[in-house]
Amino acid sequence: MRKTILIAIALLLVACTDNEPAGVDSISSPGKPVVIASNYPLYFFTREIAGEAIEVGFPTIEGDPAMWAPSGEDAGNLQKADLLILNGAGYESWLAFTTLPDGLILDTTAEVQALLLPIENETVHQHGPAGEHSHQGTAFTTWLDPRLAIEQARTIMQGLSRLVPEQSGLFESNFKALKQRLTQLDQSLEQAFAEMGEKPLMFSHPVYQYLQHRYGIKGRSTHWEPDIEPGTREWIDFGNLLRQHPARLMIWEEAPLDSVREKLLGMGVEVLVFRPTGNTPESGDYFTVMERNLFELTSLLGEDGG
Amino acid sequence: METEWSGNPRGRAALVAEINISGLSFRYAGEQAFEMTLSDFKIGSGQCAAIVGPSGSGKTTLLSLVAGIQIPQQGTIQVGETRVNELGESARREFRIQKVGQVFQAFELLEYLSVIENVLLGSIISSSTTDETRIRAGELLDSVGLGHKTHSKPAKLSHGERQRVAVCRAMLNHPQLLLADEPTGNLDQSNKQNVVDLLIRQAKAHKSTLIMVTHDRSLLDSFEHVIDFGELTGARV
Amino acid sequence: MNGALFLGWRYLIHHRFKTAILLASITLMMFLPAATRLMVADSATALTARAEHTPLLVGAKASQLELVLNALYFHAERPPEIPNQLLDEIHQTGLAIAIPLNTRFHARGAPIVGTNLEYFTFRSLKLADGRLMGLLGECVIGANVARTQGIGIGDSIVSSPETVFDLAGVYPLKMNIVGVLEHTGSADDDAVFVDVRTTWVIQGLGHGHQDLESATAGKAVLSRTDASITANASLVQYNEITTENVREFHFHGDTSGFPLSAVIAVPADEKSGTLLRGRFQEGTVSGQLVIPSLVLADLLETVFTVQNYVILGLIMLSLATVAVITLVFLLSQQLRHGEFFTLKRMGASRSFIATLVASELGFVFLGSLLLASVLTWGVRRYATEFLLSFMTF
Repeated sequence: MRKTILIAIALLLVACTDNEPAGVDSISSPGKPVVIASNYPLYFFTREIAGEAIEVGFPTIEGDPAMWAPSGEDAGNLQKADLLILNGAGYESWLAFTTLPDGLILDTTAEVQALLLPIENETVHQHGPAGEHSHQGTAFTTWLDPRLAIEQARTIMQGLSRLVPEQSGLFESNFKALKQRLTQLDQSLEQAFAEMGEKPLMFSHPVYQYLQHRYGIKGRSTHWEPDIEPGTREWIDFGNLLRQHPARLMIWEEAPLDSVREKLLGMGVEVLVFRPTGNTPESGDYFTVMERNLFELTSLLGEDGG
Repeated sequence: METEWSGNPRGRAALVAEINISGLSFRYAGEQAFEMTLSDFKIGSGQCAAIVGPSGSGKTTLLSLVAGIQIPQQGTIQVGETRVNELGESARREFRIQKVGQVFQAFELLEYLSVIENVLLGSIISSSTTDETRIRAGELLDSVGLGHKTHSKPAKLSHGERQRVAVCRAMLNHPQLLLADEPTGNLDQSNKQNVVDLLIRQAKAHKSTLIMVTHDRSLLDSFEHVIDFGELTGARV
Repeated sequence: MNGALFLGWRYLIHHRFKTAILLASITLMMFLPAATRLMVADSATALTARAEHTPLLVGAKASQLELVLNALYFHAERPPEIPNQLLDEIHQTGLAIAIPLNTRFHARGAPIVGTNLEYFTFRSLKLADGRLMGLLGECVIGANVARTQGIGIGDSIVSSPETVFDLAGVYPLKMNIVGVLEHTGSADDDAVFVDVRTTWVIQGLGHGHQDLESATAGKAVLSRTDASITANASLVQYNEITTENVREFHFHGDTSGFPLSAVIAVPADEKSGTLLRGRFQEGTVSGQLVIPSLVLADLLETVFTVQNYVILGLIMLSLATVAVITLVFLLSQQLRHGEFFTLKRMGASRSFIATLVASELGFVFLGSLLLASVLTWGVRRYATEFLLSFMTF
C-alpha cells in the first residue's frame, strides 16, 4: 500500500535537477511516512528538516499553487499521505471543496495568526485568459518574511516530530541549520531594503505584503500579469497612481514583456524581478532564488545610487 | 409369446404337496356370521383341483384356511408335511411366504409398484430380494409375454396383462401350493380358458398343487380333480 | 433395504402431489416458528452490535429512538436538525472525535449520508473499488446500491427532490461515483456517502454559478457597483460539481448554522465519555446525548414481545395443521385397506404393515425436517439484511 502511495506521489512530482522534488526513479524505500506540502517553500523547508527520514512530496501544479484546483484523484492522493503541510492564512482555497481527514492537516501559520496581514482590495483589475481572481481576506505569502518562514519551519519540525518521534533529534538539528540560513537571509534583505530608505516602490501584484511589512517598504500594487500587456485604461490608472506614489522601482513576480518594461522605463520606473517562488523554481532552490532576488535588488539599488 | 417353462427351476428342488383336509369345521362370528363344516377330501400332490359351488358356500374361506390365513376351530389341514392348523401365526406367515402362491380375485396389484416389483412383492415382504429373485421375476414375465413391460405401472396394463402379472407374482417363490380365487373374474369365455390354461401350465411346470376356486362350471374339464362345495359343505351363512 | 421402507418410499413417490402437500405443510410448521425466532434473534444481534459500536450520539432534543434509527440505520423518519456548530463544540472539548451526519436527502431511494472521512475508519468500511470522495459532489456508494442500481465508478447518481414541486432550495445535484464499498451486511450497504458540505449544496445553502465578474456573465448581471454585483434569474447555476467549476461553488452565510441530523461522538476513553455526557447534562453543550445501545434495548424488548405472540399464533396454526394432516393420513390408511389385506394374506406381519404406515409419515417428516433446516439456514444467512432493509428508507 505504501509503495502505491509513494509511486502515486512520485508521479505528481516534477523530475528535473537534483534539487528538484524527487522523480519516480529516486523513490527509495517503502515504509517511510509520506508528507505532502501545498507550495514549494513549504516543500523545501520540510525536506530540509526531514532529511531522509520522511518522503516529502509536492504536487505537480501549473502556475501558482495558490490557485490550485485539485481533482478528485489529487484529493484522493492527499488523503493517503501521513501529513499535509499547509501554509494556512487562506492560501489553500481548495480546502473549501476538498474532503480531507481532520487529523491530517498541519497549518504552519496557526501559531502566528496574530502576525497575519489583511489584504486591502485594490481596484485596478485585469481580465485575462489565466482567469479572474480577486485578492480578499488575509495575505498568504508568509514565506517572503524570513522570520515568519522560521515560525512555519518550526511548526513543521514539531509536526514531523509527532509523526516520527524517534527522529525528533534529527529534525531539531536540521531546523536549527535552516533557521540559521533564514536568519542570514533576513539580515541581508533587511540591509538591502534599508538602503532604500523611504523610497516608494510599486508592485505588479499584491503578493508582497509580508515583504513590505517586514522591511518597512512603502509600496502600492497593481494587478498586472507578467505576460500580458496592460490596456490603455490600466496605463492611465497606473500613471495616476504614479503621481500619488512616485516610485522609481517596480517589483515583478516574473520578467514582464519587453514592451511593458520599456514603457515603464519611459515613465521613469525600473523593473525588478523578485520571485516569490510559490511553485518549484526552474533551477535552484528556495535559497538560491531568494539570493538571486537579493542580488537583483542590491544591483538595482546600487545603480540607483542608494 | 408364452414360452414353456422347461425343467426344474435353477438350483431348487421342485416341491410337491398332497393336500389333506379332515374333520374341518370353521366358524366366523362377526357382523356377517358364517359357519362351515367340510367332509374330508384329499388333493393329490401336483394335481390341479377346482373347487366349485354357489356363492357363500365357503370356497374362498377354504383357500384362506389352506393358506393359513385363518385357522379352523376343528379339523386338520395338511399340506405336504405341514399341519397348517397347528402352526402359530408367525409360522403360518412364513408358510405362506415360502410355500404358497396366491392369485386373488381382483388380482390386487399395488398401483405404486412397477410390474416387476409387483412380481417381487413376496420377496419384498420377506426382505429377501436377491439378484436371483430378480432374474426369476424377469424370466416369469418373459414366459407370459410381458418381458417388455417390466417397468410399466399396473395402470397401463390391460385386464388380461394384470392377471398374468398376478400369476407371475404367485409363482415367484416356487410355491408348493398355488391357490387361485376366482381368477377368471369378468373375462369373456375364451380369455377365461386362457387363464385356466396358464395356471395349469405354470402349476405343472413347477410341480405345484393347484387349487382354483370358481363358480363357472364350464371350466371344469381342464381339472383333474373337482370338488363340489354344494355337495361337500354344510355351509350356513 | 427393508421391504416395508421400500414400499413406503415407493408409495410416497407415486402420490407426488399428496406427498408434496404434506411435505410443504409440515415444513412450514417447523420452519416458520424457527425462522421467526432466529431472524429476530439475529437481527437483534446485528442491530445491537451496530448500536454498541456507536458509543454516543448527539442530536436535537427530541425522540431518542428516531435519532438512533436515523443515525445508525438511515431510517427515513428524520429527527429535528442540529447546527453544525455543535460539531465544533464537541471537537473543542477534546473529549471525543466528532463525526457529522446529515441524512436528509435521498438518491433513487437510497439515503444520502453526508459525513466526513472519519466515518469510514469508524465503521471499518473498506473499498471494493475506487477511492473515497475527494471533492464536493463526489460520492461513494454501498455495495447494495451498486448492485441493485447497476452503477459503479464513473457513473453518476442524482439527488431526488424532496417534493414534486420543489421550486426553491433543494434541487437535484448530479454526484459522481468515485468509490464502491465492500459488502458489510449493514445499513451502509444501502447508502450513498458524500462530504457533509455536498448535502448543504443539495439543500441550496451552497451553490455554484458562472462567475459574475467574467465578461460572459453580462446577461446575468442585474446591476454592478464597485463593491457588489447583483445577478438576475437568468444566472446559470451548476447542478453538477466538476473539476472545472468546483472553484465557483461557495456557501452563503455562516456554516456554523448549517444543519446536521446527528453527530457521532467517539470518546477517547470511558472517562472522556462520562465527562462529555456531563457537559450535555449541565447544558454546557446544547442538544441531547444518547447511548444508542440503551435506546435500542427498549425497542428490542417490544420486538421480542411481538415475536412471542407471532410464534404463539404459529403454534396454534400448527396444531390445526397437525389435525388436518392426521385426518388426511387416517383417510389414506382407510383407502389402503385392501392393499394391507393383500399384504397380510401374502404373509406380511402386523409389524410390517405398521412399519409401512409409519414410514410414510417418517419419510415426510424427515424430508420436512431437512427442508426446514435448509430454509432456516438460508433465512439465517440473509435474515439480518432482510430485516435491516426495513429499517432504512
